[in-house]
Amino acid sequence: MASIMTSNYQPAVSAVSTGTLSQPDWLTSELSTGTTIAAVEFDGGVIIGADSRTTSGAYIANRVTDKLTKVTDYIYCCRSGSAADTQAVADIVNYHLNFYKMEMGEEPLVKTAASVFRTLCYNNRDSLSAGILVAGWDKRNGGQVYTIPLGGMWTRMPVAIGGSGSTYLYGYADANYKPGMTKDECLKFIANAISLAINRDGSSGGVIRLACITKDGVERHVLTGDQLPKFYEDS
Amino acid sequence: MEVLNNRGVEDYQTAGPKQSYFSPYSFNGGSILAVAGEDFAVIASDSRLSEGFSIHTRDQPKTYQLTQNTVVGACGFHGDVLTLIKVLKARIKMYLHEHNKDMSSTAVAAMLSTILYYRRFFPYYVYNIVAGIDDEGKGCVFSFDPVGSYEREPYRAGGSASSMLQPLMDNQVGFKNLPKQARVPLSKEEVVKKVRDGFISAAERDIYTGDEVVVNIITKDGVEVERFPLRKD
Amino acid sequence: MAAVEGPMPGFSFENCIRNRHLEKIGHKAPTAYKTGTTIAGIIYKDGVVLGADTRATEDTVVADKNCSKIHYLADNMYCCGAGTAADTEMTTQMISSQLELHKLNTGRKPRVATANRLLKQMLFRYQGHISAALVLGGVDVTGPHLYSIHPHGSTDKLPYVTMGSGSLAAMATFEDRFKPNMEKDEAMKLVRDAIAAGIFNDLGSGSNVDICVITKDKVEYLRPFDEANIKGKREGNYGYKRGSTAVVSTEVKKIPFEVVATQVVSGTEAMDTA
Repeated sequence: MASIMTSNYQPAVSAVSTGTLSQPDWLTSELSTGTTIAAVEFDGGVIIGADSRTTSGAYIANRVTDKLTKVTDYIYCCRSGSAADTQAVADIVNYHLNFYKMEMGEEPLVKTAASVFRTLCYNNRDSLSAGILVAGWDKRNGGQVYTIPLGGMWTRMPVAIGGSGSTYLYGYADANYKPGMTKDECLKFIANAISLAINRDGSSGGVIRLACITKDGVERHVLTGDQLPKFYEDS
Repeated sequence: MEVLNNRGVEDYQTAGPKQSYFSPYSFNGGSILAVAGEDFAVIASDSRLSEGFSIHTRDQPKTYQLTQNTVVGACGFHGDVLTLIKVLKARIKMYLHEHNKDMSSTAVAAMLSTILYYRRFFPYYVYNIVAGIDDEGKGCVFSFDPVGSYEREPYRAGGSASSMLQPLMDNQVGFKNLPKQARVPLSKEEVVKKVRDGFISAAERDIYTGDEVVVNIITKDGVEVERFPLRKD
Repeated sequence: MAAVEGPMPGFSFENCIRNRHLEKIGHKAPTAYKTGTTIAGIIYKDGVVLGADTRATEDTVVADKNCSKIHYLADNMYCCGAGTAADTEMTTQMISSQLELHKLNTGRKPRVATANRLLKQMLFRYQGHISAALVLGGVDVTGPHLYSIHPHGSTDKLPYVTMGSGSLAAMATFEDRFKPNMEKDEAMKLVRDAIAAGIFNDLGSGSNVDICVITKDKVEYLRPFDEANIKGKREGNYGYKRGSTAVVSTEVKKIPFEVVATQVVSGTEAMDTA
């Protein structure tokens, strides 16, 4: 589990140009969710979290993005990488799982969802830039988190982080994750992680979006700027 | 991981040394237009200074009075314009102190040519037009390329809308493609009118020309300045 | 080859290799019109307001001073386009046609979400090569909706959006003054001001402000809504007098012809369509 996502952020250095019009970088560059995403399992469910910034070069194209994307009533994904690629992949998986549910008459397993994601990400690994966390709850295995980094690898982890902001979080996650945390401890753990990454990573920001998925469904939270967890330097 | 803009085999190349370039020049737009009359010269420029898709200022005319009856219009890279004008003014002042008289318009033009050619291999990125009164009291216009080639002409357009203004002036001031009867010398007022109308039209189609046109009317008595509004979009 | 027999479906890539070769030996490809544009939209109390400037540019030259950038998609949906003029025009036309067929098949008013899905899937398929940046707005059975769609196929659903080279100027206006549930007049004024900010501060945008107000059962397409710029008044008269073009020489030639047949037709007969 060496790298989940590295930074997509490139500073908009436009050297002065001669002659004809050169397009500003935010006109031509692809939208990317230079992101911080995180997910953690607990007994009975999962907590997922993300920042809300979408950037195009140095321009923030959307400051209230929802990167916690629904694929079924009990399975969500956290998107990082190219906005277009991850939206397209999530839409396709959503279609497949809806179809699956109608055919089988029951909710798909989280493992199944992750496997569909993995298949798409792996088969199209040359043309996609998508780092995805799949998280959800099912009857057989309870809360689960699967991580699918750039190349289309697929592995289950009790706690996973992703996006450009995650580079700032490995130490935090390793030091503070404890097996057997309660739901509230997990919410706090994820909120802190996103907040720390927002403070350090230029391409993460905005609000913190959190979701808790259990057998009872999904409960969503938003932490706006004034509610972000604070640390020593903010006080 | 770079954002994959051009996807394909290039993505598989291994990371090697990468050369990045810095361009010392940029282009700040703006147009200039000069017309020589019988005993006067008119030189005008717009007042927009821009770069890429944005406007730096709406109030930076690109004509500079150098002596009592010499005005230079300079546009291109504004950094070079400022330096060049500073050098020109200094050299003209040195001339004044050495010879106890103003430099003539023709001498200013000759000196500008040498200043430009001195930087033949790292040129000032500036398009110059000098307007003034010559030694016989006639209106004169000199046009330059950025490395010092110059020529006396009856009228000249320069800068971003030069390709629109020049043919208009060919017809209206140079009487090109018109019958012989039409060729009568133009008065100062008529020239100002045509120059102004030229800028109004150029502002319609050239995105780097607009905001205001500043017209300098040069006679043996000095320089009069008039300003007229242009489109601001 | 195929062009003679009738077009094949999809784009033609026939000349790609030839063009790459031409480019290598120094011939530039022809440039398309870009609508270096300001487009914007907001949701207000009863629907959506879309706005656009009317300048089309080709490099630094204004190619069209009054082009129309708010495209029709369906009776309850319009779409502003920025980017390559041809791409925005053709993309919206194709999706408009698909929505009409969808309406005929289902007998229902198309939804904005449907248009959004069709547009994003088409743009994603072409991996950003279709330079269309769109602002999609409309009102359907579920209420008013507004989307921004980027050329690579990503979309955002927001209460206020801007696109094009003037999007920063327009977004600055929205971030300052947008509030939810505005009245119609206030909403139109805000969109006008956002587009005007683009017109004056972005060189790629200019001329007039077009506005389209979509509500549950009415569309107002106002073109122009406002002329942000008045055209400069020229003093001179630049019409040419008769005789300005010199006659170099004159020669009159007789053309010999034969009358083969004469037919006198009186009145007009209806064409036989039986």
